[in-house]
Amino acid sequence: MSRKLLAWLKTWEMVLVVLFVVEILSFGKLNPAFLNVENLFFSTSNFAYILLAALPMTLVIITGGIDISIASIMGLTSIVIGVLWQSGTNVFVATGIALLVGVLAGVINGLLVANTDIQPLVITLGTLFLFSGIATGVAGSTGAAGYEGISGLPASFAAIAGGSIGIVPYPLLIVLAFAAVLFVVLHLTHFGRSLYLIGVNVKAARYTGIDVKKTLVIAYAIGGFGSGLAGALLTSYATSARSDLGNNALLPTLTAVVLGGASILGGSGTIIGTLLAGFLLGFLKLGLMAMGVTNDLSQVVIGTVLVVVVALKILISRLNQYRMDRRALKQQEETRKGVVLSA
Amino acid sequence: MNFRRLVRNQETVVALIFIALVLIIGVINPHFLKMASLTSMLNNSLILIVVSVGEMFVILTRGIDVSVGAIMGLSAVILGVTLNAGMSLPLAILLALATGTAAGMVNGVGIAVFDVPPIIMTLGTLGIYRGLMLIITGGSWIETIPHNIKAIAELKILGIGAFAWMTLAVVLLTTWLLYRLRQARYFYAVGDNEEGAYWAGIPVKMTLFVAYTLAGVFSALGAIIFVSRIGFIPMQTGSGIELKAIAATVLGGVNLMGGVGTPISALIGGLFLATVDSVLVFLKVPAFWNNAVAGAILLIVVTIDFRIRQMMEDQQRAIRAQSRIDNATLSQSQMTVEEAQSS
Repeated sequence: MSRKLLAWLKTWEMVLVVLFVVEILSFGKLNPAFLNVENLFFSTSNFAYILLAALPMTLVIITGGIDISIASIMGLTSIVIGVLWQSGTNVFVATGIALLVGVLAGVINGLLVANTDIQPLVITLGTLFLFSGIATGVAGSTGAAGYEGISGLPASFAAIAGGSIGIVPYPLLIVLAFAAVLFVVLHLTHFGRSLYLIGVNVKAARYTGIDVKKTLVIAYAIGGFGSGLAGALLTSYATSARSDLGNNALLPTLTAVVLGGASILGGSGTIIGTLLAGFLLGFLKLGLMAMGVTNDLSQVVIGTVLVVVVALKILISRLNQYRMDRRALKQQEETRKGVVLSA
Repeated sequence: MNFRRLVRNQETVVALIFIALVLIIGVINPHFLKMASLTSMLNNSLILIVVSVGEMFVILTRGIDVSVGAIMGLSAVILGVTLNAGMSLPLAILLALATGTAAGMVNGVGIAVFDVPPIIMTLGTLGIYRGLMLIITGGSWIETIPHNIKAIAELKILGIGAFAWMTLAVVLLTTWLLYRLRQARYFYAVGDNEEGAYWAGIPVKMTLFVAYTLAGVFSALGAIIFVSRIGFIPMQTGSGIELKAIAATVLGGVNLMGGVGTPISALIGGLFLATVDSVLVFLKVPAFWNNAVAGAILLIVVTIDFRIRQMMEDQQRAIRAQSRIDNATLSQSQMTVEEAQSS
């Protein structure tokens, strides 16, 4: 029992929890206003979209893939909402259609990845240009290419990002609900297990009888849905639809997934890890801003965190390897000595 | 060279498509084929070509560098700041190149020494370099650049700009070196089979380090062309060019799985993508759709390439199967002959 507890305490998620607590407390120490619970809850709306993209990205990265088209899917869904609303569609119906567009974008990614041997990076690089091009094209043809985009969306729509139940804002609720669903999907279903197997060894997955193509398409489709959700949320948050919304989302999204414990090579990663890492990064940025550190410098900090964490993890695993090697060598030597003595 | 080998060569396919595209557009809009528009097209592609050549070295080793755009921005800012501080032109250029080299070296150390996966390392440094660039300038554009550097872009030799000649020289020189220089072949060896290269005595880590350093150097070269041609330095300098450079190299036939490609690929891919950007105007399509067309072309080319590869594999398989059947029938007939003789 205690050994199990100890093993659990040594997991990466636990490290993230500790880091998270340390982070909140140290920012609170430097600036007591930071510890206001209501503030903490409401500030999550600032980075909720990163989590909405990062959570399903975890699934894609577990399969050994990557989806760099997420930012352009955000812009695309945003502009779809705007254009449909402008042409007289109810804004919530428009959001529904835009989410479907997001799923469709993910399905296109998935079909291309599953049916060819081209690397996911190249595929989603192509669709990144394609989707963002369609978004700016549509925006341009309807005269919404400017900085303003399509503004003046109804207040009922703005309430998605602005509203709350008690002190829990809707965006946080959406993130937690999405995380709960994805947790079940990834950790408690057959589909979720096959994602890991595909990431570890595609051939083995195929021989096990897993429908690799279908699994991959679903994973990328969920990714598209998450980015669509992020795009819709951003649109509501900014109360205007723009084709370039979420343009800088890729770096923080991938950082959250990798910091959350997923290996970029596939085969590992958890929803809880990504969720914790997303909060860790989001509050890091907010805390730095509260201390007067500019957005530019926080970019430097996040980039450094990403590189240093991954380098440390690799270093630690190497040290462990080295220690195990030494132990094995020692054991072998002792048995050899024993053999010599008994002879 | 027989037809099949020519088709298998993606460089030739893309070059042919490119020439066809130029001719078709020339037929639709004869203005396009005028010397002035052709040279402006060439001039617009120079930066992308130079950065793509750098990216190619990294991709040859089976890596990826998404920080080249940020390195380009950082080098451009250093160039602008040192020039405005009254430094002499050669010294400022040297400093800009040194900045690019140093930035590339940092990537190289992280990837070769600390074993950080390339996408993680360069994504992290993308944030770091871009943040540094903003910190140095305080987030504002550098609007005035001394005339002496702008004069280089106006220099013409045989009616073609000095930078165009320089780019051509860079492509030809690197191509020649990659064929002739023993150490340059290491890039291919490492990309094709890293472990094999290691056991063959190739300094794998050094090769990786040099590849990322070169990517930095070429990004700085792109920055110099940029500053000279544009005459001011916006904060978006180089933003997004990393994706275009990857797209250009892949389009030109450099395989992301490493070990395949030449600077000629980067040249053709870069020319192609830059042309797409300027071509739509001649077809009276609004420029908003540029990215959509670029993305669609990238996806179409890589999927066609996949189909061709698959077809050839099938053909070879069929040939092998046929020869097996032939052998089998041959040995069978021999056996029957032997049986007949023995009886």
